[in-house]
Order: sequence, then C-alpha cells, then structure tokens
Amino acid sequence: MELDEMKQAWARMDLRQDDMEALLRQDLRKRRMDKLRSTMRKSMVWQAIESVCWVAFVVWVTSFWVDRRHVTHLLVIGLLLHAYGIAGIWSGVTQLLLLIRIYLFDAPVLVLQRRLAQLRRFRMISTLALGLPWWFLWLLLPLVVLTWWSGVDMFAGASEWIWANMAVGAVGTGFSLWLARHLAGRPTRSPWLQRMIDDMSGRSLARASRQLEEIARFERELPVRPPV
Amino acid sequence: MGGKADQQRFETLWREHRGIVLKVAGVYTRHAEERLDLAQEIGAQLWRSFAAFDERKAKFSTWLYRIALNVAISHLRRESGGDGRFEPLDERHLETIAGESAAEADERVEALRAFIGELDALNRALILLYLEDRSYAEIAEVLGISATNVATKINRIKHKLRGRMTAASTTGA
Repeated sequence: MELDEMKQAWARMDLRQDDMEALLRQDLRKRRMDKLRSTMRKSMVWQAIESVCWVAFVVWVTSFWVDRRHVTHLLVIGLLLHAYGIAGIWSGVTQLLLLIRIYLFDAPVLVLQRRLAQLRRFRMISTLALGLPWWFLWLLLPLVVLTWWSGVDMFAGASEWIWANMAVGAVGTGFSLWLARHLAGRPTRSPWLQRMIDDMSGRSLARASRQLEEIARFERELPVRPPV
Repeated sequence: MGGKADQQRFETLWREHRGIVLKVAGVYTRHAEERLDLAQEIGAQLWRSFAAFDERKAKFSTWLYRIALNVAISHLRRESGGDGRFEPLDERHLETIAGESAAEADERVEALRAFIGELDALNRALILLYLEDRSYAEIAEVLGISATNVATKINRIKHKLRGRMTAASTTGA
C-alpha cells in the first residue's frame, strides 16, 4: 500500500465521534473557561514568588555573614548558604523563563518539544543540586537561624557533634545516590517515589537527553535515497 | 476583545474544528477513555492560548495543529514514562476510532493504523498532517522544519512502507 492509498483509507475512517464531541463540549463548559485560563497563570505567579523568596533569603544570609565575618565558622556557613541561595535564584528564574517560553504551547512542534525537554532536564539538575545539600542544611540552617535570632552560637558549643553530623550527611549523600541507582528500574507503588528515584539515579536526565537527541535527529535534513 | 465575545468566538471555532482534536487524540492514545481525556486536555490548552492567537500570523488550523500536537506528544511522553516508545494501537481502540469491530475493518485501514502505531511521536505528527491533506508548507510551519525536509521524510516513510508491504507479501506467499 502506498501513502496515497493510505490517504484514501484515512479519509474513509469515518470517526463516529458525535458522542465524544458532546462529552468534549460539556466538559469545557463544566470546567469554567475563565478558571482554565487562571490555573496556568497561577503556576507562573508561584514560580515568581519562589524566586522572590530566594532573593529575600540571599539578602538575609548576606546580612548574617557580613555582621559575623570575624567568626570564621559562621562566615563559612553563611557563605555556603549564600551560594545555596544563589543556586535557588538561578533555578527559580531559569524555570520561570522556560515556563514563559512554553506556556502557550503554540510554537512549532519541534521548537516547543525541545524547550520542554530542556525544562525537564533543567528541573532534574536543579532538583539534585538543591535537594542533596539538605543532608547538611537540616542542621546548618537552624544553626544560623538560632544564632541570628538569639545570638547563641551552637557551633562553638557543640562543634564535635556538628562535625559528626556533617560526616553522616556526607555518607547519607553518597548512600542516597547509590540507593537511587540500585532501585532504578524497579517499579514502586508511589509515583512520587518513582519520580524521585528516577531523578536521583539520572534515569530522568538520560530520558530528557534522549528526547533532545530524537528532536535533533528529526530536524536533521537527510538526503533522499535514490530510487531502488 | 471582551471575555464574553472571546469565549463565543472560541466556541464557534472549537465547534468547527474539534474533529481535528479528536483525530490527533486518536493517533496518540490507545483507549477511548484516554482519548477523551487527551482531547479535553487539548481543548483546555487551546482556550488558555486563545487570547494570544493572531490570525495575521497564522491560520487557525495551523495554530490548532501546533497546540494539539504539542499537547498530545507531551501527554504521550508522560504516559509512556518519557521514553518515547509506543505500543501498537489495540483492538478496543480500533473499535472506538472507527465505530466498527476489528474483524469488520477494512484491511487497508487496519494496515494504516498498525503502521502509524509503529511510528515515533514526531513521525506520527508528520504522517497525521500528511493524511489530513495539509500542504508541505503548512506541515513545515506546524512542525518547525523546512518544506524540503518534510518532502524528504514523507519519501522515507513511503519507502519504509513499501519495504514493509513487500516483506509482508513475501512472507505471506
């Protein structure tokens, strides 16, 4: 069968879609069209709010370490949190810009699919970059908040305990990555857990990269084969 | 344009073109229920984007195909876990898409569905637009590749199909 014959077959595919069309019409009405529009805007607004929160965090951390720059360990912890905040701003703003570029979905298919794959890849990288440090931050952040709020330097009083927890954090980071790789590919009941495992094991990243390659391959112009 | 007028205009265009949406949904899903879900998702996205639609920049059908295909491909990637692999369209799907049982279906229609079912997401979009009798220029505009590239790819698909049919007849003989 030639493609032209396929065209005829396609035209003869009389889609009995009256019922389907009626359901479709009802659904759009039911969902309140004004509500549909606002949902997407809300997610962009949330992304913008997140970015603003990161900026506020960096401003606060900067004032913390500038005021305590003479105490080495507080300066170092402050600078680490500062770097973390910068990473948060970079992640929030980049995701917001990528969302703005895709949210109408009306770009040519290849352009939009590439942007979506880039957004997916970026989200995975930033999830890892911002998620794994929590093995350390769960302790460092309260420590900074406590020092800022009450003036009590917990690090000075319990430095050995804190260093021991940092060591546990380092082992925990390595263990998380190992466990994710170990569990990758095994089905789990929770989609949330599955996504987390895929993100941490690098499977999601590989998937997004494959999609980008697929788009690039499709885009490439190949010479027409000579007739056999 | 006011919200009410905007909505009325959209509803008129939607009534005229929702057959296209169902066809796109049919090519990227396996079951009737999933097909309706996807068609609804496409409808919702069309409405979200409608305020930005400018008929001086693109024909309504071009704009609609872009959004419908983008939503459908994203849906497919999400449903298939993002690996872009597809299972062939199943018998239940054939019943719902044609309104007749697989046994009664025309042999060519079956072959067509089977063939489309084997293609990846982007080639499905290409073949759907071709079967919908869109010009190479419009297909290029919808997909974001050159018209020459469209022609090359259609030729490749023709070649592939011919090869498949030849192999099938050799095996069947």
